[in-house]
Amino acid sequence: MTVLPVPARRRARRVTSRAVEGQELVLAGVIAVLWLVLGLVTSTFFTASNLQNILFTMSGVAIIGVGMTAVIVTAGIDVSVGSSFAVVAVIIGRAVRDAGLGPVPAVLGALAVGAALGLVNGILVAYGRIHPIIVTFGTMNLFRFVAYQIFAGQQVDGVPPAFAFLGGGAPGRTLGVPNAFLLAAVLAALAWFAMRYVPTGRHLYAIGGDAVAARLAGIRVSRRLLGVYALTGLVVGLAACVTIGGSGTVQQNFGTGLELEVIAAVVIGGTSILGGRGTVLGTVLGALLVATVTSAVTLLDWSSDLTQLFIGVFIVIAVGVDLVRERRRRNL
Amino acid sequence: MATALPRELLRLRGIRKRYGGVTVLRDVDFEVRAGEVHALVGENGAGKSTLIKIASGAEPAGGGTITVGGRRLAGGSTTAALDAGIATVYQEPQLFGELTVAENVFIGRELRRRGLVDRAAQRARVAELLARLGLDPAIAEVRVADLPVAEQQLVSIAKALTGPARVLILDEPSAILTDREIERLFAAIRTLRADGVGIVYISHRLDELAVIADRITVLRDGAVVATKPVRELCVRSIAELMVGGSLAEPGASAATSGDGPVLLAVAGLGRTRAFAEVSFQVRAGEIVALYGLVGSGAEHIAGALYGISPADTGSIAVGGEPVRVHSPKDAARAGIGMVPADRKVAGVFAGKSVGFNISVGDLPALSRVAAWVDRTREREVAAGFIRRIAIKAPGVASLVSTLSGGNQQKVVLARSLAGRPRVLLLAEPTQGVDVGAKEEIHRVVRGLAEDGSAILVVSSDLREVLRLADRVLVVRGGRIGPEFGRSAAQADILAAAAGDPVGGGGARS
Repeated sequence: MTVLPVPARRRARRVTSRAVEGQELVLAGVIAVLWLVLGLVTSTFFTASNLQNILFTMSGVAIIGVGMTAVIVTAGIDVSVGSSFAVVAVIIGRAVRDAGLGPVPAVLGALAVGAALGLVNGILVAYGRIHPIIVTFGTMNLFRFVAYQIFAGQQVDGVPPAFAFLGGGAPGRTLGVPNAFLLAAVLAALAWFAMRYVPTGRHLYAIGGDAVAARLAGIRVSRRLLGVYALTGLVVGLAACVTIGGSGTVQQNFGTGLELEVIAAVVIGGTSILGGRGTVLGTVLGALLVATVTSAVTLLDWSSDLTQLFIGVFIVIAVGVDLVRERRRRNL
Repeated sequence: MATALPRELLRLRGIRKRYGGVTVLRDVDFEVRAGEVHALVGENGAGKSTLIKIASGAEPAGGGTITVGGRRLAGGSTTAALDAGIATVYQEPQLFGELTVAENVFIGRELRRRGLVDRAAQRARVAELLARLGLDPAIAEVRVADLPVAEQQLVSIAKALTGPARVLILDEPSAILTDREIERLFAAIRTLRADGVGIVYISHRLDELAVIADRITVLRDGAVVATKPVRELCVRSIAELMVGGSLAEPGASAATSGDGPVLLAVAGLGRTRAFAEVSFQVRAGEIVALYGLVGSGAEHIAGALYGISPADTGSIAVGGEPVRVHSPKDAARAGIGMVPADRKVAGVFAGKSVGFNISVGDLPALSRVAAWVDRTREREVAAGFIRRIAIKAPGVASLVSTLSGGNQQKVVLARSLAGRPRVLLLAEPTQGVDVGAKEEIHRVVRGLAEDGSAILVVSSDLREVLRLADRVLVVRGGRIGPEFGRSAAQADILAAAAGDPVGGGGARS
């Protein structure tokens, strides 16, 4: 205790806990404006196929984002999701093609493999007490190696359409909306509810705020950590099904850089990278914003490099806003 | 006891505690009655926090008994203590900023309905508690991070009261509060007292005890010196009990001050909400101490002189020349060196060698063509300091983290000396350092003064201040109070710092 905070005279702004956070409203507003402008500027934006495409591309990121949000709220991170995604995809792709696995066992298998990989991360973080970035950086390379071994130098072609109901094509839609997006929306709604109303979910915020104090308050910190990493593995498995359903091919570079897309969506969605704050709703909006920007750059016939620029700017703005908020609180 | 019900809610009898070879508590008796505020005071290291830890079950006692409401309590278990009704609020609020007040109060033991957090029930229960503490019940749904510190403090108390609290231990609840905020705290405490809760109140601010406490127990060197009703005591008499009859131990060398040139001159220094109108001078060869209790602002003044958090107003002059100190770099260039408080946080690079830690203080002087570091000279300089101020380290290459606290502190001292400062600021230079190393550090500091440096010590260790300093300036409420000389009595200085309006005479030497 070197320098004590000087007690505040100024009254704090009273911000009550609301269902929708300020940052989420801002994000929704930005997306609405973008859609409006794109609708006016291009003739193709508000076509069914383009909107279906946006919703389908964002759903994989949003599904994994559910787990990633929980992880980052506990002040952790999981950079291995791209690699575990590849492992699940190659195993399930082969099982469906070579062993003729049906859709239900295939999805269950994908979930099981994903959860198993997530458990590896969870055990190392929760009980090995190793920093999450180190653990998952390690397993990122490890899982990628495992995936390459299974690929054995060949991409998996001609996967039968067992997951067509999750894919981007016509069989993968209900009333014109991609099933993958509906799945992501249901998952996100469940997670949002759990992190807001279920004690275990609230505990994640406490752990991210101060793990020691959380333990003293009677929260089983290790078990919760194990849970969020396993959950992330589980949703990675689901996202892999969506992607296989969309393409029918499992390429060797599957999932490369996926972790950064997911983390970008989470951070743009207002989740603090320092832990203790964030919502799944924000993450879904973040994923939607990224998908919108990607689509816009294509529709406007701009260089696709610009997508990176825009995403980068959004991340910097989101993190900047977070830091400013944090600093303002310190100065109270 | 003839009375049917014991009036003592909590009774500690013959509590003993040793850490390693050091006795921290010897046969301490302490009790709290229903509906009283019992203040526990003592100097740093007198054993207050250890006693509190034992009462709250965070530490087992080395001997003695604890009874709550006449029933024996097994020590060393926080849950047992909580179940028995002993709730403790620590100095730093242990709250989660992103959760609401209601969620914080119930974290880990949420009220549930069908497996979900029953927000409505929590809100209702918390609103009741908040109203009892004089807070707006509407803040139940406000995020804790959005509340001012004082309200956070009261929320911590609300959290402690959710259990069957019969005894409430408050560890320096007022240290970081302003006067107006303290009034709110006191109002809450009075309400609880009226409800029959027994309150243990720890504080360094002796002047507030007359306002809030019913009885006072003074600890000195791990033993109870007195337990008396507050009306029988005044600030001065409490201070005397805290420090004992002992006079200041004489310093090793005679005072050398008085005739050297003024090296550090501070005039009208101020920073909003931290300190104001701070003016003093330190001459070459002189050691001046700023002494203040926690929250007095003394550490902020040191921070401003070293540019950590620059002053808004006033001027600083080094060797007669005015200097602008807006960063530690400015301070170093102006010839001001600093040994920061809390070496673990702001002092040593624990994973680096002794040589690295010392030479980082003055890399340009050790560099060739002002570019790369001359490793040979780095070693020589570090080795020189190891000899000069007797750092006990196997060698220049040893990791700092392997050294004892006292020797780590000497390494930090050596680093600040590597830049050859004319003015040296020392913040809590011997905090957490054993007695032998303390003595050695004091000797080194005196040696530096004799060699012509101007030295400013900021310390909350009264004995250290008296041993080391030629003059002691008391800091209170962000202002410089009375000045004392070497021969001043400890009780006078403590009384001045703790809020005796008369200032204990303020004898100028």
